[in-house]
Amino acid sequence: MTLRLPAWLWLLPFAIVFCAFQLAPMAWVAISAFNVNGDWGLGHFQEIAQSAFFRQAIWKSLTISLVSSAMGLIIATVTCHALMRSGPRLRRAMIAFTNMTSNFAGVPLAFAFIILLGANGVLTLALQQLGIIEDVRLYSTGGLIVIYTWFQIPLGILLLFPAFSGLKAEWRDAAHLLGAGRIAYWQRIGLPVLWPALAGTFTVLFANAMGAYATVYALVNTSYNLMTIRIANLVAGDLFLEPNLASALALVLVVLLVLVTLVQQWLLRRSAQHGSR
Amino acid sequence: MAHADTMPAHKSPTAASLSATFNPYSWVVGGVFAVLALPLVATLGYALATRWGATLTPDGLTLAWFIELWTTPRFLAAFARSLFIAVGALALSLALVLPVALLAHTRYPRLDRWMNTLILMPFAVPPVVSSVGLLQLYAGGPLALVGTPWILIPTYFTIVLPFMYRAIANSLRAVDVQSLMDAAQLLGAGPVKAFFLVVLPNLRGGVQIAVFLSFSFLVGEFVFANMLVGTRFETLQVYLNNMRGASGHFTSALVITLFVFTLILTWLGNRQAEHTITEAAR
Amino acid sequence: MMAATTRPPSSATTPKASQAAYRQQPAIASGATAASASRHTDHASSGNAISLKGLAKRFGDTDVFANIDADIAHGEFITLLGPSGCGKSTLLRAIAGLTSLNAGQILVGDTDITHLPPQRRGVGMVFQHYALFPNMKVADNVAFGLRMQKVPSDERARRVDEVLRLVEMQDQAHKFPHQLSGGQCQRVALARSLVVEPRVLLMDEPLSALDARIRKHLRDQIREIQTSLGLTTLFVTHDQEEAMLMSDRVFLMHQGRILQQDSAEAIYTRPRDENAAGFMGHYCLLDAVEAAPLLGYRSKAGRVALRPEALYLSVAGMPLGGEHPERVGPGVHGVVRRHRLLGNIVRYDIDCAGVSLTVDTLNRSARTLLPQGQQVTVHVDLDEVQELDT
Repeated sequence: MTLRLPAWLWLLPFAIVFCAFQLAPMAWVAISAFNVNGDWGLGHFQEIAQSAFFRQAIWKSLTISLVSSAMGLIIATVTCHALMRSGPRLRRAMIAFTNMTSNFAGVPLAFAFIILLGANGVLTLALQQLGIIEDVRLYSTGGLIVIYTWFQIPLGILLLFPAFSGLKAEWRDAAHLLGAGRIAYWQRIGLPVLWPALAGTFTVLFANAMGAYATVYALVNTSYNLMTIRIANLVAGDLFLEPNLASALALVLVVLLVLVTLVQQWLLRRSAQHGSR
Repeated sequence: MAHADTMPAHKSPTAASLSATFNPYSWVVGGVFAVLALPLVATLGYALATRWGATLTPDGLTLAWFIELWTTPRFLAAFARSLFIAVGALALSLALVLPVALLAHTRYPRLDRWMNTLILMPFAVPPVVSSVGLLQLYAGGPLALVGTPWILIPTYFTIVLPFMYRAIANSLRAVDVQSLMDAAQLLGAGPVKAFFLVVLPNLRGGVQIAVFLSFSFLVGEFVFANMLVGTRFETLQVYLNNMRGASGHFTSALVITLFVFTLILTWLGNRQAEHTITEAAR
Repeated sequence: MMAATTRPPSSATTPKASQAAYRQQPAIASGATAASASRHTDHASSGNAISLKGLAKRFGDTDVFANIDADIAHGEFITLLGPSGCGKSTLLRAIAGLTSLNAGQILVGDTDITHLPPQRRGVGMVFQHYALFPNMKVADNVAFGLRMQKVPSDERARRVDEVLRLVEMQDQAHKFPHQLSGGQCQRVALARSLVVEPRVLLMDEPLSALDARIRKHLRDQIREIQTSLGLTTLFVTHDQEEAMLMSDRVFLMHQGRILQQDSAEAIYTRPRDENAAGFMGHYCLLDAVEAAPLLGYRSKAGRVALRPEALYLSVAGMPLGGEHPERVGPGVHGVVRRHRLLGNIVRYDIDCAGVSLTVDTLNRSARTLLPQGQQVTVHVDLDEVQELDT
């Protein structure tokens, strides 16, 4: 090598591409959200706040995300606990399978659920024949919560399992020898130790659900009113495009995610201070 | 007997395999397994069924749907486009990330901490939000990339960056790259030569894991592909979405094909991971 | 049932004083006499602190241990010594109730605890890797057992403070376990199991994870506290030095059996059989034929065990390393193969007519070191010859 370039030049290509395709779009969203017909202002946010349509989108996004994250977290917690008490072979198989299903998301997932639970879905027809149900409404809030929960479970298991395997058998032994029963062990040691992982996993699941777009889009196109659907429709829809309004709504979405993360951090800090009881 | 001393009863292999059959916890695991498997099994059944109407089981089995799919030119073209974009994005990512990771583990140790913060950004911002910015920034002007594959390749670089950087940084740490570079340079190799002859071969395992996992992730990407490019450069996921009007059996065959494809990629990645671990253990 | 011991209330402030406060009775705290003394100080009832009767444990087809019978007196410090995999830790866990037994009975005092859950056994345990609860500060870790017993908070605070002084950790009460060193963690773990006043303390290789200097210090501290409290203790280790230095009695375990229950001196100088001799010290094991030239007679026992310090060297008729004992066997010629310097001891490997012997001599001066190939004569102290049954 005859040419001796300063070492930091090797960082330049990375910096340029990262700025152009990660930072610049973020900055554009943050700035254009306040651009109201060439002037600066909060007009777009007022419009969002005053529109029942946008308020409904935010409300439905929050509902579906919170419910599916909570259910996903609960099921993942129970599964991880059961996995720790199962044989090593079953444990390995289940983790591998979870890994597989965590890849199954977006459009293929929507299609699989249409085949399973759509109006003429395999399970729908089977359940109708058995007389258990009359009708499955996959395209309703309830239906979406089922699909969302389904894709939250594998993610939850993958995120929580390491924390569960970090629970040492010796802690349980020590607690029992000091007079604690099962409930006291979980209440005072098991759950407090798992708590940061549980809170962190919930935050990731929530963000995952809030940002989800492909599944709903493939399922109902733009007819279900969610934040991501609205944002996409404002920049890439068929009729009127309002990119600045889209930016404002996108900013609301990001702020909601940041808010949940801050609450999680605050709860963790608080429990680190008082949680030693 | 060798480890019986420190082994609690429930960890003994014989005890575990015995109790697995009666263990109520195994039933919980089995139940969740069944719930997770249900959509996959139904789709597989549908892809292999001649007809599946109002019965619990399909009427007959056939490979006709798969054959039809694999002889559809539009599908093959979409497949080729997806491969092209994924390969391009991965090549770009490697070219951009390798030097940064290397410098962060040799010359600029503080850079590693910076990078660990930077790579969280793609997680914090959902693709839909990034799309809003990208669509505006690259719709016209000198960089009119929207609607072409050239916007997807650098965008995909940003979303695989976390996997890429972590995997490469971990293997750099594992091989103690600073000592390797020092040794190579003491033996007379320049830094660039030392990197290509000594460091890169030792990173192969870690890089391969990242590549396989990122590949399967990119082949499954829909949001950017649909919003930034759409039908103008139809990738697999966009094609699948556009096929919603087609027969359910046909789309099932497509879903299963995609799933098996990503499965093979993750399997290759995990096999590489195990291989690397056993090699490191030696 | 936990309140088997009583303590006088204390306003102690110094570690020494609080140690005194922890003493149940006027204790005689020195060495081997402590056990026999405290035997009478603890429970009023006569008999043993713990009796193990025919304990057996199997995993599948393999016996982890079997036919474990032992009586342990009040205040006694017992070491379960053996190589890894000999079943000693599993035995300890079985006594704690953390592992089920296939057969046998465990009595603590007059109570049969064989089928009690660990919570109700009144047994304390210290683990190799401390097992401190990571989410609790030192004080809360120590208070945990009292909290489970619903001890009122003011009394709880007082007792936690006392026991932390006892282990000299009162200044670290508000730290989390991850902020402590290994030795500090283990002292907290010790305090945590002492504060509930267990009837028996079990320690599972508590020093193995610590580095050498801290290990020595904590070893002495544990023994001192145990003696002053008169606490019946079972201590598992694979380190014979630890066992020699700490115990009133050593239970030597091998492949799931107790080979020998004896005082440290007896275990060391009079191993009962080949396995015991093989584990203790650096015994040379010879069969009767090999040993005959050294002893001057043909032993009736199958095997003869010789300790390196029971063998003596002379060079050209001059005794090496001071006076030789009265009764020595006839000299046998040998050649120095190599020597190892162990500080105050020089250990020689000597080839004697096809038999390799290990001989320890005091390292009095560098001038007396024997070079490789040196011709020597080996004598054996006939009073220290162990004839083993086979």
